[in-house]
Amino acid sequence: MLATEFLSELKAILRDSHVQVEEDVGHPLGNSGRVTVCPQSEEEISNVLMYADNHGKKVTIAGGGTKRGFGGGTEVADLLLSLAEYKGVVEHNVGDMTLTVKAGTPFQSLQEYLAEYNQTIALDPIWPEYATIGGVIAANDSGPKRFRYGSARDSVIGMRIVYPNGTIIRSGGKVVKNVAGYDMNKLFIGSMGTLGVISEVTLKLRPLPKYESLILLSFQEGKMEEIRAFAVELLDSLMEPTSLELLSPSLSERLTGNHAYTVAISFEDVESAVHYQENFVKRIQPAKTNITILPLKEARAFWKQFYTIAPNGRESGSSNEIEAALKIGVVNLDALQVIKASHILQDAMNIAVEAHGGLGHGLCQIYIKGTGEEVVAAIERLRQFVIPLGGYVIVKHLPLALRQKVEVWGEKPSYFFLLEGIKTKIDPHSTLNHGRFVGGI
Amino acid sequence: MAIKGGQIKDTHIENLAKIVGTSAILYKKEDLLAYDCDGFTIHRHLPRAVVFPNSAEEVAKIVKYCHEYDLPFLARGAGTGLSGGAIPLNGEVIISLTKMKRLVSVDLENRRAVVEPGFINLKLTHSIADKGYYYAPDPSSQYCCTIGGNVAENAGGAHCLKYGVTTNHILGLEVVLPNGEMIEISTNGVLDPPGYDLLGILTGSEGTLGIVTKITVRILKNPEAKQTVLAYFDKVSDASQAVSDIISAGIVPAALEMMDKTAIEGVEAAAFPVGHPKDIEALLLIEVDGISAGIDEQIQEILKVCRSRNVREVKVAQDEKERERWWANRKTGFGAMGAISPDYLVQDGVIPRSKLPEVLERIRQISEKYGLRIANIFHAGDGNLHPLVLFDSRKPGETEMALAAGSECLQACADAGGSITGEHGVGIEKREEMRFIFSDEEIAAQTNIRDVFNPKNLLNAGKLFPTPGRCVEVKRNEKMK
Repeated sequence: MLATEFLSELKAILRDSHVQVEEDVGHPLGNSGRVTVCPQSEEEISNVLMYADNHGKKVTIAGGGTKRGFGGGTEVADLLLSLAEYKGVVEHNVGDMTLTVKAGTPFQSLQEYLAEYNQTIALDPIWPEYATIGGVIAANDSGPKRFRYGSARDSVIGMRIVYPNGTIIRSGGKVVKNVAGYDMNKLFIGSMGTLGVISEVTLKLRPLPKYESLILLSFQEGKMEEIRAFAVELLDSLMEPTSLELLSPSLSERLTGNHAYTVAISFEDVESAVHYQENFVKRIQPAKTNITILPLKEARAFWKQFYTIAPNGRESGSSNEIEAALKIGVVNLDALQVIKASHILQDAMNIAVEAHGGLGHGLCQIYIKGTGEEVVAAIERLRQFVIPLGGYVIVKHLPLALRQKVEVWGEKPSYFFLLEGIKTKIDPHSTLNHGRFVGGI
Repeated sequence: MAIKGGQIKDTHIENLAKIVGTSAILYKKEDLLAYDCDGFTIHRHLPRAVVFPNSAEEVAKIVKYCHEYDLPFLARGAGTGLSGGAIPLNGEVIISLTKMKRLVSVDLENRRAVVEPGFINLKLTHSIADKGYYYAPDPSSQYCCTIGGNVAENAGGAHCLKYGVTTNHILGLEVVLPNGEMIEISTNGVLDPPGYDLLGILTGSEGTLGIVTKITVRILKNPEAKQTVLAYFDKVSDASQAVSDIISAGIVPAALEMMDKTAIEGVEAAAFPVGHPKDIEALLLIEVDGISAGIDEQIQEILKVCRSRNVREVKVAQDEKERERWWANRKTGFGAMGAISPDYLVQDGVIPRSKLPEVLERIRQISEKYGLRIANIFHAGDGNLHPLVLFDSRKPGETEMALAAGSECLQACADAGGSITGEHGVGIEKREEMRFIFSDEEIAAQTNIRDVFNPKNLLNAGKLFPTPGRCVEVKRNEKMK
């Protein structure tokens, strides 16, 4: 059979590495491979890609598998390239505050390692226990703390990328400031593995905050104008919150037990500065709101739970209930309207919705549960609401069968020809993550 | 057609004049001379003409025309670039964006502003300062450089250590592509627009991928408090160690600058002397900002670090006036070299902070080797060195020597695991030095991206990338002799 021939050739390339034929390749989230390979060196990644590219094979790339339901119209590709075994710290220059790691390293393990040096990567992605650094960057995942610290594009200073033809390209470097040539790092961040396989990442680190706390400020239902006024006042003050995230009543209930619109305001600084800012918030606390302050450990515990609220692509997804995750981008304060619209949708339709959005950065995450039909209808309704605001809706998690019924990335942008041009230059045979990105590139 | 100064023979100039109007085009040699170089003065070349469009639509029309008739063209802002990015190597039509200098809108609640490319960097901060906001990237030339130029070069500045360089503050762009087509990428400032990060690739592309005609930037709220420390050291190594110690202590200073003895001699002889002792080997200028309640603690930590590294004298600025004096002294540092040398060449290498002592030692050796003084003024906190090679262009061969010394400084940075430019860009100046850090394949990966945007390579050709097969050409010329 063709498959066996293919397999023996792969085994010749990878030698010691794991090459595994998948018996049961069907998965509701798709993005599987007939054969799974787990290269253990960059050279092996390169050899696999070169082989696939030369033989017209399609390759799906995976890290920890948390984003399996994110994009892509393929149920089973020829190859699933897993980076799960390509992991570990390559170089940590403590004094320079830079870290070079292999792409398959789980995010949480990196943070635990860095904490011993009082350092941290200033990103807060979902499912840090499983998500790999390469996956976080390829999917450009970020959380509420992006408001203060920015996203992957602000932390990544260098990468090694294996191109589909096997060429290894370095982008950026190992220094925190660098404008030599085009800023190629940017091209791969958020590219969903459609241009190359990120094999190594160099990040700029930050000192671990000496202290942190979290304020939960909950408002009475329907008082959106008050939430807005509060956010505007805090944003216009001299305080420096790390997050200013609005939680929908249902999400707030799950995380805090309190069914109310809640603003999660975190501060990270030396302890005196954190308390000073807490006091400021207490001073401007609007009437008829409830305030809870979670000190250091409790704040960390809150966030730990927070990062597990999204659907996880590692789970089988076999239950009858469909889960969807959406990323919605709007102008900062419009996040209020988006969270409200999502909440209202829950009452109007037979679905469960949990949502949060950053009032200082405008990115919202919406989690929907219901029947397939209703979930698809809800996505369409949110799109109709968001597009007139100048925003977008991206479907970050949805079973394959339903992904084919919605545009995962929305309408193509007017400059789509540039995106397509870049894809064609780098991956002319569309070997990598075929069709997983905007407009089917 | 008659334009002021008489008849023109060049029909292209005539046609371009129809687009922008006869008062918005320069074509006579004496007028073009001012545009034969930018802040990098070693190469010079005359443009074919300089046009001054007043709108994005005019830019698009000019570009379309150039594209149709295969005329090389490039965009220019204030011309303060230090690597030659705006020099018309191929006799380009220069599209000067200095008339497009409007502040289009400011939205404080959503912390964004929209400007035209010719808008002056510092004017943005001035326009929003009364509300307590500012625009963070602060290149030393910020009083006159344009934000469009900042985008092209991905400009940095002293305060980028904490707040990042231009690319970290660009939310959206309106761009005229090299074929004249106009596109808008997230001009409303919405983050993470679906698709490859074109904003990221365009920023820092040194005007080779497109011409930005509108820029949406992030604006920040002023910090509540700010403290500035000045520390004098008898040994460069002690100052370097203090830099590492401050960062290791978990402090993220807003700025952390260093000057060596030669640089101090220069700034003290120039327009803003502050009375630095003449016999110290290095000084550090350190600024922390943030929540007032936390600042004192950080300052005490910094003072402690400096003392443990044998500082001779360390002081905290007593008021805003003193702070401004210290900064004026630092920010005019490059120009100040004019007070102690007829000419100077600025370099812009980057190294991992921990390599400071050894790279500074190598720069000292390079200085000895060439018999040219090299002053060091730099952003020590992010390892961004600015060796200033002092020379006299009237002495035969000294310009070439200065260039060679500068290039060797970059080699030293590359050898230390660093980069050849941290904020000035490659331009013409460092094209060949790109090979110090990138392989042919990596350079090809970049030119492939250029080909997507700029397939005819009419826009700012000959910049940023080394000339392929240069050796071959030289040999051929020799044979012809």
